[in-house]
Amino acid sequence: MPVLRSREIPPVPPKPPKARVKVDPPATPTQGREQPATRLSSPHSLTPSPKTAGSVSGSAPSSLRRSLRLSSKGSSNAGDQVGLPEVEKCIGSLNGDVSKKRKLSVDVDGGFESGGSRVLSLRSGEKVTKRSPLGDGDVNGGGGGDEVVESNTKGKSIAESEYIEKSESNNENRKRRFSSEEKGKGKLVVETDLESKDETLVNGSVPDVEVPAEEVKSPDEKPSKRSNRGTNGGRMERFRDTARRNASRFAYFNTQEEEKEEEDNNNLSMEVEREIPSVEEQIEEKVAEDWPGPFSTAMKIIRDRAANLNVRQGSSSSGQVPSVKIKWVPQKGKGKDGSKRLPPSLLDLSLRVLVDNADAIASLDHVPDALRHKLCQMLCDSRRMDSNLLDLLLSGSPTEIRLKECSWLTEDQFIECFEKCDTSNLTVLQLDYCGQSLADYNIPSTLARSPISLPALTTLSLTGAYRLSDAGLSVLVSSAPALRSVNLSQCSFLTHGAIEILASSLASVLLELFVDDCQSIDAMLMLPSLKRLEHLEVLSVAGLESVTDKFIKEFIFARGDGIKELNLSGCGKLTDSSLKIIAEICSILRALDIGNVPKLTDNSFGHLASGCRSLESLKLCRNAFSDDAIAAFLEMSGEVLKELALNNVGKVGHNTALSLARRSRNLVSLDLSWCRNLTDEAMGLIVDSCLSLRVLKLFGCTQITDVFLCGHSNAKVEIIGLKLSPLLEHMKSPVESPLHRTRQRVCHEKKHVLRQTDRRHSFVSYNLPVKVYRESTSNVPKKGMEIFITDVFTTDQKNEPQWPRLCLMLHATALSSSVPRALLNSRRY
Amino acid sequence: MKKEDTVKLISSEGMEFVIDKEAAMVSQTIRNMLTSPGGFAEAEHGVVTFPEINAVILEKICQYFYWSLQYSRGKETEFHIEPELTLELMMAANYLHT
Repeated sequence: MPVLRSREIPPVPPKPPKARVKVDPPATPTQGREQPATRLSSPHSLTPSPKTAGSVSGSAPSSLRRSLRLSSKGSSNAGDQVGLPEVEKCIGSLNGDVSKKRKLSVDVDGGFESGGSRVLSLRSGEKVTKRSPLGDGDVNGGGGGDEVVESNTKGKSIAESEYIEKSESNNENRKRRFSSEEKGKGKLVVETDLESKDETLVNGSVPDVEVPAEEVKSPDEKPSKRSNRGTNGGRMERFRDTARRNASRFAYFNTQEEEKEEEDNNNLSMEVEREIPSVEEQIEEKVAEDWPGPFSTAMKIIRDRAANLNVRQGSSSSGQVPSVKIKWVPQKGKGKDGSKRLPPSLLDLSLRVLVDNADAIASLDHVPDALRHKLCQMLCDSRRMDSNLLDLLLSGSPTEIRLKECSWLTEDQFIECFEKCDTSNLTVLQLDYCGQSLADYNIPSTLARSPISLPALTTLSLTGAYRLSDAGLSVLVSSAPALRSVNLSQCSFLTHGAIEILASSLASVLLELFVDDCQSIDAMLMLPSLKRLEHLEVLSVAGLESVTDKFIKEFIFARGDGIKELNLSGCGKLTDSSLKIIAEICSILRALDIGNVPKLTDNSFGHLASGCRSLESLKLCRNAFSDDAIAAFLEMSGEVLKELALNNVGKVGHNTALSLARRSRNLVSLDLSWCRNLTDEAMGLIVDSCLSLRVLKLFGCTQITDVFLCGHSNAKVEIIGLKLSPLLEHMKSPVESPLHRTRQRVCHEKKHVLRQTDRRHSFVSYNLPVKVYRESTSNVPKKGMEIFITDVFTTDQKNEPQWPRLCLMLHATALSSSVPRALLNSRRY
Repeated sequence: MKKEDTVKLISSEGMEFVIDKEAAMVSQTIRNMLTSPGGFAEAEHGVVTFPEINAVILEKICQYFYWSLQYSRGKETEFHIEPELTLELMMAANYLHT
């Protein structure tokens, strides 16, 4: 289980930070300038204002306030006590050189506009509808209402002029921002860059921009105002503008980061300054050209689709994003509960009874590994696993031990069990959450009894081994020279030295490395060792805060061309530049997890769509991507996708649904938990169109009703999360983990007898079965067997599990030695 | 029961169980044996031998087949399994894919 991080970002836009942003109502002439800002917040006490009046330094929220006020000052200066509406509009223009339709703003900004606008509407009047609340104002000349009808040309010209100004001021912005916010806003700056990048992008790409007519004034007024305040001051205005704009979007972020940032101010500012050049270049490129061609075209199509709808629908200032129409009619007369209840399989029934009577199990000999794993899994889930059963598992010369949860195992039990275990045939050892039992000092007596005690071990998983240090790992690894997959997640004692150890002994064999949540490992320090792993295919650094763009850049440059799976979830410092590099270099990337990386914007999708053509599994969680970007990505790359998780990607809506329905023929698993914008119709369309879909997760989607549940016509899909279904059954079993997949490939390469079957991944492509079959049954009449094999393959399309059955049968029969020949001989004719 | 509708399952001891074809089809393995093109002996004669499954287990399996048919027709009862049989039953069920 991942450690809860304080930086977990709440999906709901929090009010408090914005509350802090609130400015006082104007009481004096000086504060009259703040009027426009106050419309953004309910009246507060007067005290905060003088404090933040001029000081540039300070904590994030106050800087927010300050920037708001200052920007409003700037704008108000422009109008110089003009009436409120005008000033507001000026502000709108200041922010809103990118003002455009609300929908488009949703695309680009990726913040929480909806939340913000909601918040806004509570506080201020209808003026709010014209703007977005806190300085996401750049996004909406339209705001929630979106219906300020402006001439397109005017808007465009304004946009362009603003754009030019913006791009000029961008550089200055950035640098000034550093100095002004060095005290604490390092992050803000980077975000600013992203934001301005987005703006310029949008400016460039959006044809119909709506800007209030009055805003024409503002650019002219701005310079004058700027001169009023002196050269520095004028720039400060614009910087604070942008700061306000961006800061509000990340306000929640700042509040949590506040203390942290104040501690390592200098470090941050240094980092940020280093990052500037890359971001700058990026912005330059972005300015020059949008996302790579096809993606931008796709995006445009999708946006236009919605835009046309907008136009057609006329003014609908409901604040809701107008949704593309989805035509889906639920099937009538499906009958209760959708499909008929399938009887539980005999296997499941007997497993359940076995688990209930686990203490009565005398022996697990002859039980194939797949069944052992299933049994262990169920036992661990129900906490019935104990050392007796472990003894049974370890008796003989076991080949695989998979215990997904060893927290019940005490140290003594561990030593007792493993002391006498013959590990010479062990290929897979999984002792997850073994922290209580595994320590440096008991490894030599149990697992690493001799330098050749684990000769066949290819897969090792010791997650949660919090007492394992680099030295202990070194002893273990020296006994296991053939390791191909190492999972050391949550081993908090390990440092980059551990990776060095792995690199020195396993450089040429290691294929998979998981170091999720190893908090003592510094990513940059482990980089040199990582680069030495020649064949690394799977890397998981989830939850490592030290993973930065620089790390990704250097690692991918060195090893990216061989990487097949990458897990970067929770690496909060990553930005679009990392995705760009990944997309460019990792051409055979099959699985990517970028959940909980809040800084990623739609640009990432642009990169991914153009770069990673063979992406089969994409996992998002709490990302700020827009509906259109995801839809466009699916249009381009959806055919290959087998697994997609859009967990808590709140903006997912009808465009994504349409693209999923059209493109995702091969999608097997889909997670749309917490996607509240999807209606029954959208879900129905997705499920009925994605014919390969087997698993659909809908946690938190309370908007889905029986209209969908009973009305969809896909009999094979399993919907999890809506009603109370046994949850644990749907967690990924070890058999289906990437570990397993790679292991299968390893077996293929080494021509081992197939041990387990993974029904989801067709083996036909590996041609494995035929090889295995021939090797293991050499004295069987070939004719009968071969015919049987072809028969299996031909009916493979009709009955998918058929092949795995054959495999298991052979394996099972291989174990019980008397059987195989007799059985196979029966196929005579 | 007409001859055409039945299949004969033979256990390791040689005990023969004659059951409906529909019931036997609950097991994917048997279904494939009986319906696959290719002229298998099993399909032709309607006889399947299981040298590694003993009579007690095979009997239980046949009972499961009928129970499963009943269940899918709506009559949802409980299928009781004696604990002593469970391990072997599990392995046989795994083999038969049922």
